[in-house]
Parts: sequence; structure tokens; C-alpha cells
Amino acid sequence: MAETTIQLDILTPLGPKRHGVVVPGVEVPGLLGELGVLPEHVPFITPVVPGVVRFRDGGESVRIAVGAGFLEVTRDNRVVILVERALEVSEIDANKAREDLKRVQAELSHDLGSIDAAEHRKLVTEQGWLEAQIRATQP
Amino acid sequence: MANLKEIRNRITSVKNTRKITSAMSRIAAARLVKAQQAAMGARPYGERLDQVVGSLVASLGSGEGEGEAGEADAAHPLLLKRSGNGRVVIVHITADRGLAGGFNANLNRAVGNFIRKEREAGNDVVLLTVGKKGRSFFQHSGQRTVRHHDAPTLGDLVVKAKMVAAEVMAMFTGGKEGGDTELPQVDRVYFAYNYFKNVLTQQPKIEVLLPFESREVVNDERVLPVLEPGRDALLGHLLPIAVESRLQQAFFNSIAGEIAARRTAMDAASDNATQLIRELTLFYNRERQAAITKELMEIIGGAEALKG
Repeated sequence: MAETTIQLDILTPLGPKRHGVVVPGVEVPGLLGELGVLPEHVPFITPVVPGVVRFRDGGESVRIAVGAGFLEVTRDNRVVILVERALEVSEIDANKAREDLKRVQAELSHDLGSIDAAEHRKLVTEQGWLEAQIRATQP
Repeated sequence: MANLKEIRNRITSVKNTRKITSAMSRIAAARLVKAQQAAMGARPYGERLDQVVGSLVASLGSGEGEGEAGEADAAHPLLLKRSGNGRVVIVHITADRGLAGGFNANLNRAVGNFIRKEREAGNDVVLLTVGKKGRSFFQHSGQRTVRHHDAPTLGDLVVKAKMVAAEVMAMFTGGKEGGDTELPQVDRVYFAYNYFKNVLTQQPKIEVLLPFESREVVNDERVLPVLEPGRDALLGHLLPIAVESRLQQAFFNSIAGEIAARRTAMDAASDNATQLIRELTLFYNRERQAAITKELMEIIGGAEALKG
């Protein structure tokens, strides 16, 4: 019996973004590149990097900006995306994200030497997250 | 009648106090719903993440003799168990404000006992405080505090958890002694917080954060799914997230716990004030009646004296 749909959960620390939506497939930004998950995928775990998750919910196509996390495909045809944060396109303030991105990039470019490693890592993460938001708003 | 006036003033003052406590209780009740939902909404994420990372970590240990102290090459620096005595850091998570019953005091006491025990065992203890109440409690005891953050709010919780996680991971891996002398190298990281069991109960908890340990041994028989990339790379990616997530969960619990504790405490305070007002009013009326009776007696006495 071939399944034609999968159930998708997107969980974040601020509560579930999507719970049990039935989708024909989902595209996720994985650590090793963009990947698509279709029904009857083998059980599988892979990291998710900041980027855009895309899927079709009913007739409309949905784009959600996500932070780092991981993706789990379970035996029972479920896809769970656990990410530290997620925003729907309607929740993103693209202009603010652009401004913040400029600020973060400026900070990263000029005092890379003086800031310590933890600070640097934080800025890089922030940069990825802001870029993901901006990409989500551009179809 | 000075006494009567005193009682009246006292009643007014207790009534004013009751206004404050019942306002605080109502505010807490309104905020509680949101905080509680946030804490509950966060749990599925934290638990799932913990399970997955836990089963990955557990699958590492099953290979060779588990838990051999100081395993030479752990799969990831955050898993490295160091044997012997050393320095530990406690991430002490309290609230910024008081008037929340035993919320801060219980945790402060628990952490104080814990520090004493660690000291007796020969370990050096430093603190990283989150929340002003924890800092001020340990400020005068000569306890060294390496960093302080104010208590998280629902808005900046994710960012703050990231910050604290980055700090403790840097301390644990000890990679930068020269650059940042403020963060000493440590061998173990604990975190202490109030677990939000329900509205009436908050449990002080002290748990190990690093080296990372899987919480419950989820010994599910199912074979590990396909991992991509390999297990070690996956751990490298997931462990920092899992550490962050544990701190996040602790923050969520702490926020919801604080509000719930304040609500309970202020409710009790309002009830006590009502009770006190009732007693004082009764006393006031009795005194007033006594005064009237006394005056009457005096008048009658005077009249009798004139008659005679």
C-alpha cells in the first residue's frame, strides 16, 4: 500500500508551528544541501540549517523560515522538523530583517579579531537566521 | 479615644495592603495563562530533542565499556567526562523580583546546600546567575559569580538561552583561557531551576548540563534510523542545540513557576488580609461599644451622685 501523503509537524520551543498537516512532500534546508522528503521515505535523521521550509498545504504553497535544528522521518510516514525558531512569511518583517542583517554583517566584517569565539558564533548564527527570513519572503 | 483611632488606622492600612496583593494576584493570574501555555508548548520540542540526542548518545556508549571515567576519545568534546576533582559551574536560574512565596528562597537554599556538598567533595564552585534574586543571595557569602544575566522574559528567552549556552559550552571546552579570563575553564556544568509541576507546585531542581547525559535511558528496540551525515557529525550539530534546549526548558519552567508562585502567594496574602480585617473590625466594634458603655456608666454615676 503506497502512501501518497506524509504528516508534517514543525515544532519549536515557542510551541508547534504546524501539527499533523497532511502534505504531498516537503523541502527542507539540510546540512548537506536542500533536500526533499516524499512519502515512504526511509527512517532518517539529518540536521537542518537556517533556511526555508517549503510545502503545499491544500492548494496553497507555504514557506516558513526556520532556524537550526533537525529533521526526523519516522517509520510511520511522519516528518518532524524540530527547529529552534520558525516564522511564517506573514510574520516576517523583511525590512527590519534587512536592516539587522546589514548591522550584523558590519559587525562581523570589522572586528573579527577583537570579539571572542562565542560572540562570533552568535553573530554568524544570527546572520543565517536573518538571511533565511529574507529568502522566505522572496518567492 | 487614641486606641480606637489606632485600630481604625490599622484597618485602613491592611485594606491598602490587600488592594496591592489582590492586584498582584490578578495580574499574575492573567500572565499565568500565557506563560503556562508557553511552557507546555515548549515541552514537545524539548522532549523530542532530548530523546533523539539521548538515544544517539546512548548508542555511543553501548559500543565499549560504558562510563569509564575519562574516556580518552569521546565522540564529542561536550560528552567528555573528566575524572577527579575540579571546578564546577552552576547556572542558577531565579526570578528578578520577589514576592513570590518560596520561589526564590527554596532554590537559593537548594543551591547553597549543593555548593557546600561540592566544596566538601573538594571541588571549586563558581556561579553563573540568571535572575537578580539568585545573585543578591550569594553576593555577600563570598561565592564567586562569573557572569550575571537578568531573568529571561518570554520575549528574549530564546536569545538568552543561546547566550548562556554559548558561555557554558565555552567554559566547559575551556578553549579560550587567554582571551576571556572572565570565563574560567570548568569540568562540570550544572543548572538549577524551579520545575513547573503545576500551578501550586514548583520543584527546585539541580541537574547536570555538561558533560551531556541522556536523561532517561530510552532503550527502544527500534534500530537507529539512517543518519546523515554520520553519527559524530550529527552529534556535533545536535549537541549544542540540545544544551540550548535544556536551558530554554529551564527558563520556561522558571518563568511559569515564578508567576504561578506569585499568584499563589498573593492569593494567600489577600486571604490573610481579609481575615485580619475581619478580626480587627470585630475588635474595633467591641472597643467602641465598651467606650460607649463606659461613658454611659460615668454619666449615670454622675447623675446618681448629684441626686444623692
